Amino acid sequence: MDEKSTSTDTAPGAEKNPSAGERASRTEGAAGSWSSKPEVDGRGPTKAPSLGLRGTLLFLWRQLTSMQTALILLMLLAIAAVPGSLYPQRSVNPGLTDTFLEENGRWGEILDALGFFEVFSSPWFSAIYLLLFVSLIGCIVPRVGVHLRQLRARPPRTPSRLTRFTGHTRVELPGAERDELIESARRILHRSRYRTEVREERGGAVSVSAERGLLRETGNLLFHIALVAVLICIAGGNLTNYRGQITVIEGDGFSNSLTQYDSFSSGAWFDETDMPDFRFTLADFRATYVQPGESGKVGEPRSFEADIQVTAPGEEQESRTLQVNKPLHVKGASMFLLGNGYAPEITVRDSEGTVVAEGPLITVPMGDTGYTSQVVLKAPDARPEQLAVVGFFMPTGTIDDQGPRSLYPDALDPQLALTVYQGDLGLDSGIPSNAYEVDVSTLTQVGGEDGSPVLIRLYPGQEYTLADGTTVSFDGLRRYAAFDIAHNPFEIWTLISALTAVAGLVLSLFIPRRRVWVRVRPGADGAVLEVAGLARSDDPALEGDVRSLATTLSQAQDGGRAGTAAIPEDRPSRATDDSPEGSAQ
Amino acid sequence: MINEQLAEFSNLALVVAIVLFVLALIGFGADLAGTSQRRSDERLAAKDRAEKGRADARELQAASVGADGAGAVGSDVSGADVPETDVTEISASDAAAVDVVAADAIPGDGTGSASGGMSAQRFAYLLAGAATALLTLGVVCRALATQRVPWANMYEFATTSAAVVMIAFLAFSLQRRELRGLGTFVVGPVLILLLLAQTVWIVPAAALTPSLQNSHWLYIHISVAIMATALSILGAVVASLQLLQAKHESGLAQKIAAGEEHPEHWGRFGHVMDRLPSSSVLESLSFRIHSIAFVTWTFTLIFGAIWARDAWGRFWGWDPKEVWTFIIWIIYAAYLHARATGGFRGSRAAGLALAGFVAVVFNYTIVNTVINGLHSYSGL
Ligand code: HEM
Repeated sequence: MDEKSTSTDTAPGAEKNPSAGERASRTEGAAGSWSSKPEVDGRGPTKAPSLGLRGTLLFLWRQLTSMQTALILLMLLAIAAVPGSLYPQRSVNPGLTDTFLEENGRWGEILDALGFFEVFSSPWFSAIYLLLFVSLIGCIVPRVGVHLRQLRARPPRTPSRLTRFTGHTRVELPGAERDELIESARRILHRSRYRTEVREERGGAVSVSAERGLLRETGNLLFHIALVAVLICIAGGNLTNYRGQITVIEGDGFSNSLTQYDSFSSGAWFDETDMPDFRFTLADFRATYVQPGESGKVGEPRSFEADIQVTAPGEEQESRTLQVNKPLHVKGASMFLLGNGYAPEITVRDSEGTVVAEGPLITVPMGDTGYTSQVVLKAPDARPEQLAVVGFFMPTGTIDDQGPRSLYPDALDPQLALTVYQGDLGLDSGIPSNAYEVDVSTLTQVGGEDGSPVLIRLYPGQEYTLADGTTVSFDGLRRYAAFDIAHNPFEIWTLISALTAVAGLVLSLFIPRRRVWVRVRPGADGAVLEVAGLARSDDPALEGDVRSLATTLSQAQDGGRAGTAAIPEDRPSRATDDSPEGSAQ
Repeated sequence: MINEQLAEFSNLALVVAIVLFVLALIGFGADLAGTSQRRSDERLAAKDRAEKGRADARELQAASVGADGAGAVGSDVSGADVPETDVTEISASDAAAVDVVAADAIPGDGTGSASGGMSAQRFAYLLAGAATALLTLGVVCRALATQRVPWANMYEFATTSAAVVMIAFLAFSLQRRELRGLGTFVVGPVLILLLLAQTVWIVPAAALTPSLQNSHWLYIHISVAIMATALSILGAVVASLQLLQAKHESGLAQKIAAGEEHPEHWGRFGHVMDRLPSSSVLESLSFRIHSIAFVTWTFTLIFGAIWARDAWGRFWGWDPKEVWTFIIWIIYAAYLHARATGGFRGSRAAGLALAGFVAVVFNYTIVNTVINGLHSYSGL
């Protein structure tokens, strides 16, 4: 086993022990004793529970806060997240979930009952991460106490025998001055940011005990505490955020109030009065696409831009251009450009000549590159019977044996392909219905001029009259943009906590924690210098550092006596086996 | 506008780089095979010499401390900084002597074993360097041809990652020569990655889709993700070797315990393993790579969240790509914990590191192509 990684920390209690170092080496390899954690103090998780309810609870608590449990919970969390990516999640895409349920019958129902379509809010997923965080808190609290005490404590005593430690070097220095040597050792170590403690020992010896890298544990605690903070901020955000979708046609406006939203959701503590009173009009929406002859897939989008005139509370009206990745921020809300489509202007007159529908109609893109979009128009006021117009809008249209479809997303040759139905639209039944859907199975199709069923094909400016005198006209074309408006007051705090966690993590992973000892004993005609170190984390540089300290000290001592020898007495360790390059770092 | 000629040149550079990588792989392989010819008693003899050599080296060091001490009369103590000087550097000639002894004794270094001329390893190392240079050139040309960063689809992500893995490996092993023995195991996976990119994921050079435009997070988030992926690849290579080496070592130890004088384990492959660093050296290397990888993944996650917030209005939405990055992060966190938990150190922890890598691969292949999510930028 690697000596560096197994040199376990001694428990804080043991640091007062004169032979703390030796004890450290004795615990070496004691399976599972992992540094400075309270468990090592003999309240190990495997200890048999004491009798009674209290004892059992205590036992369970220790189990829960043990490192092993944390490890298992982490793995469980990873595994539990997997189905969340394999099954369509309601919170992400409810349509896909419904399709899956339809296609999978009984199996789908079972999965649904088990929460596989809401993995991240399912009881089992929540249970795992809540347990993990309880475990985490139970783990942090005692460690903070231990660590605070350690920060105030002086470096532990120098072990009586240094021979077993990393880089142990012994040099006889005839004529050397004991106190001078110790003082320069202390100075050098202190300058390298060690905390030092000089102690007189038996037999006229004196030693410096030095310690460095307590920041490692500080960083580790900071990291774990910041993780708790991240979780709290996420929970806070879920309770206070809001998010809604709006669609705005070119030339139209929007002002921020609940009634204006197509859909809206918010956390339990959200307060409607906190919504900022901002308004805007969509002046223009532009899109560009890959044209034939350009590289890339023809029809693939190249840019989307929405020009808006926005007025935030207490500010002048201002022109802004929103793009994907370029949201609008006003105090208390952000607005994101997330979608777009076409709104053909359609006028419908019923057989009595009354205008029953007029103006731009939002169509829903069906997801093909060409932006073939679905048209659903309901005219409940039409007489003698209610009318529904359904069909397609095609920015660059064609009708062939595949039916009506669009070849290119830009409005190069805009067309409508429509069918008109009459009958009871069922809008009075009290069941809320989707504006973009209509059930035509109970309706009858209105025939064309000669009375036969007809698919009306309209270009801008055209009008068509049906057999019963109903007319449909295509007056013009506008575009619309779809925006999300959202606000999460905890967002910034989530970010700050996450960055704090990273800072702690970096300290915790890359600051080596180590001890270095220098002892000087009176020798036959001068002094005997001993230097050794103990790594308490992966610390490949320790050996080199200890040896060079020995060299520096013996060089500094009046160099007149050639023949002095540093005799490394360490057992051959990995670092020396390794390679000359390895130890030269 | 796309510069088609430059894009074609980039493709050509990549194809030639692949050919060079194949040659480098053959070179590294030949180097390993060459070593495996030696019989185990030779190894033992070499070890004996190594022991002796090390003892000599130690005397040299010891002497040099004294000698230098003598030379440094009255030198200023405060001028010397503890961590910087090192015993083996005290005198150039002594250090060189140590180096020579070490070079022929240490099994990890192939340069000493060549019988004149260039060793297979050195040859392979140089070839790999040339291939990496060409690969990097190809990636840079792709960037110039499209006038943007070359990270917009799976093909570009894969080729850039491959370049980063190779550069990291070459840089690591420039100083630590014993790591060059790992060449086969690094060039192999890189070659697989490049071949997949060149055959399955390749797409013509094109401009960015709107969802990738207008955002400096493209540069930040994706470059960090590429680094994280590259480090995960390297980490997985080292962790797998660590597992094999641990098995091999315990196999040898059993034979020695059974009293065999010239223990053999896993035949020729065993000899290859003998060339590689010990499992504990590999373990600590794997840990160092994985800890950097973990920090990089953490940044990937955070920067991705910031970008998602700008692009989609929420910083986290359990999109499949987000889920899998989260899973990767959690598994690597578990790995770091495992190293500090009794009963999980060593091989079991390495198993977790490899599980993390499986998640990385899944995230890159299946999630990008099969699972339907917002991160549909594979370009396929
Ligand atoms: C929310 C889940 C957690 C995550 C993501 C997490 C992550 C990490 C990471 C990345 C490290 C490595 C840093 C290092 O090695 O110094 C670490 C170390 C550590 N964690 Fe956690 N941790 C979590 C929960 C816990 C829990 C519940 C405990 C208590 C049982 C715990 C105790 C520790 C300890 C003691 C270390 C230091 C290990 C060492 O000595 O190297 N962690 N944690």
